[in-house]
Amino acid sequence: MTMSRRHLLHAGATAGAALFLSACGNGGGSTSGATAVGTPRPGGTLTIGALGRASAITRDPHGVQVNESDYLILSLLYDTLTIPGSSSIVAPRLATRWEPSADLRRWRFELAEGARFHDGTPLTSDDVVWSMRRLRESSIGVSRLPGIDVQGITSDGPRVVIVESNYPNSAIPVLMRLTTFVIKNGTTDPAGSPGTGPFRLEWFSNGNARLVRNDNWYGGRALLDAIEVRLFESPQAMANAALSGEIGLASNVGTVAARVAEGRDGVKIVRRKNDTALMVVMRAADGPYADPRVREAFRLAVDRQTMVRQVLSGYGSVGNDILGTADPAYARDLPQRRQDVARAGALLDEARFDRSVSHQILTTEDVPGLAESATLFAQQMQSVGVKIQVVKQESSTFLGQSRGKAPLYTTYWGTNDSVIFCAGKLLLSDSQFNEAAWHDPAFDNAYRSALSTADPERSIQLMRDLQKIEYDGSGYLLWGMAEGMDIAKNTVQGLPQLPGYGRVQLEHTWLSA
Amino acid sequence: MAERLRSSRTAALVAVLLLRRMALLVVLLVMTFLAVEILPADAARATLGFEASPAELAARRRQLGLDQPVAVRFLHWMRGLATGDLGVSARGRQVWDIVGQPFQNTLVLGALALVLTVLAALALGSLAVLRPGKLLDRGVRSLSTMILTLPEFVVANGLIVVFALGLHLLPSVTVTSSSGKPASPAMLVLPILALAMRQIGWNTRIVRSALAEQLPAPHVDSAIMDGLPRHRILIHYMLPGALPTIAAGVATSVGMVLGGVVAVETIFNFPGIGAVLVEAIRNRDAPLVAAVVALTGLVITVVLMASDLVRAWAVGRKP
Repeated sequence: MTMSRRHLLHAGATAGAALFLSACGNGGGSTSGATAVGTPRPGGTLTIGALGRASAITRDPHGVQVNESDYLILSLLYDTLTIPGSSSIVAPRLATRWEPSADLRRWRFELAEGARFHDGTPLTSDDVVWSMRRLRESSIGVSRLPGIDVQGITSDGPRVVIVESNYPNSAIPVLMRLTTFVIKNGTTDPAGSPGTGPFRLEWFSNGNARLVRNDNWYGGRALLDAIEVRLFESPQAMANAALSGEIGLASNVGTVAARVAEGRDGVKIVRRKNDTALMVVMRAADGPYADPRVREAFRLAVDRQTMVRQVLSGYGSVGNDILGTADPAYARDLPQRRQDVARAGALLDEARFDRSVSHQILTTEDVPGLAESATLFAQQMQSVGVKIQVVKQESSTFLGQSRGKAPLYTTYWGTNDSVIFCAGKLLLSDSQFNEAAWHDPAFDNAYRSALSTADPERSIQLMRDLQKIEYDGSGYLLWGMAEGMDIAKNTVQGLPQLPGYGRVQLEHTWLSA
Repeated sequence: MAERLRSSRTAALVAVLLLRRMALLVVLLVMTFLAVEILPADAARATLGFEASPAELAARRRQLGLDQPVAVRFLHWMRGLATGDLGVSARGRQVWDIVGQPFQNTLVLGALALVLTVLAALALGSLAVLRPGKLLDRGVRSLSTMILTLPEFVVANGLIVVFALGLHLLPSVTVTSSSGKPASPAMLVLPILALAMRQIGWNTRIVRSALAEQLPAPHVDSAIMDGLPRHRILIHYMLPGALPTIAAGVATSVGMVLGGVVAVETIFNFPGIGAVLVEAIRNRDAPLVAAVVALTGLVITVVLMASDLVRAWAVGRKP
């Protein structure tokens, strides 16, 4: 697997306690996920397999975590300010409430009462400020905390943290879900240092770890006595381990491996919708796809249902070329694009697209189905007379040479519960991940307006406008959303069902008899 | 006097052999650095990912010394190697911290696979040669040829389906304990079998034909005439002559076992050096790749040397 290969953006996860709900000023609800059997009961140890590579192990909570196993361990040990919720994008964690200034530049986060590090030291705003500044100064700090300077992170008394943005930004609480892991002020060696999370570290060895419940967690006690994390290099080995009972949960095992487990005794499959967006990128700035009519034609030429059925083994849903499908504000009213070969052909004629030569689509095997999607896409494009040759590249070559540069390639995205977050990361003219090199001043304006609007009703309208522009013109062909697939023993209950890194919050998970 | 002369000549021979093999290893390391260098993309991009900005990439390149010529980086790394320092990986960890335990795990796995290979090949090859042309001989010969054609990943997956998922006799994967080693010895069984199977096929054929070559030798012939027991003839009269060929075969297997480790470790999730190598190449991590090459190269060098010595010894005492 390719993983760590996975450069998915990290997001936190679900499962908020009633304590949070009542204290929540902004965010919103969260649920404890899966369909539980019987009454949740405490106790037991759950062994979880997670993908990763031994040589890519990162124990620094503010480092670049490419291993899902590392991220899982860090999320159990350390708390972020906010986490993703199920009914709203952001739910409280270490921050219990937050409010912006009128101009949405200055955000005030109140910290949870009673939060303590695993060694008993009470948490203060100094720890949070120090940790966030450390994150900001890390090798990819600018990407993690865009628009926030080191000096913009300050405290206001022991329980309040102030975050100042260089521009009005209604999505600051969403950013805080990423890797704002809090460690102690002045920590010199972050590896294994005490956190404030629901579990504390018993041992760590080469990417594997044992964590035991933090009985003093401010969010209430987790149900499991202990979680053991086991690093797996390949999804297939992880699926085998789940099928033979050596692990209780194979986390994010992928659609192919999950298919193998379908119908086997003793295990169940957990499907988390809207996990990974699978797209074809058409470079908009120059080259053969610069004409919006060509991009529209390509979007109309694909048969999305077939793509989902064949590439994702049916574990997914069709996309409509807008990123952030799990966002409550996602524009469901925009008509679903369907295959329309006649219209696509007419558009290609109009744009005088050169159908006499063969075009290349570049792809890699970073996530299951990506390379297969390129092959099927190429086949389907024959229906409009476009010849496409699939070129498969090794993961790092693809990352260094093709992603963000090639005229036509496959890509994927792992945080899909926020339209505005995806817009800022991938679609804005000056975003450094503007993969399709798409520049649309109208979109940029819509984005900035949406970010600087506090009024909820006006915000909904602005978000709708933004998505319409994206739907009409961007460089993406988002054909499908892959589901996140976990294999679990039948006795594992209360598993999170949120997409992406929503899978890591396990304080409500329990084992039935 | 003559004895001392001979032993000093042997020592000189060993020293020359050693130097030549070491020189070969250095050439191999140069090629490793060059090979990583010519791969598209670099360690900064590979380890920071798509998220990194141009400024962040440039800073990482400086930090990793990627702004310096490859020759400078290689010499710097070699200077460290001379003092036992394997350098720092592209992700900023000490290379020894990454490769140390996995290398030991792989050595244990490889050594056990090799021991099994030698024992099984000697037993099967001997059984076959003692009954030339009989059913057992033909059976062993065709079976070993068949196994030889099976790649490790086919054997590995077959073993998992039968012994782990089907019969539930053995674990399908290795999970690591707090010590960094496999959590139970049972987890080694299937990986060892997967690694050894092909080598057993290969070495059984070598053992059988090396022993068969000894059959027409006069001293073997007379031993048979004298009516000595079969096992005595085999061990005392045939095996010494066959030993050089067998040793060479086993030495070749060491390289093949270490090659097969990459696939087998991935399939069984074995915490070894193969997995480290795959990711190191993906990350364009020259010091880490070179460290793996140096360590495995060292093992192969030592084994080849040992095999040369066994051959020299066996030829020297040949009747």
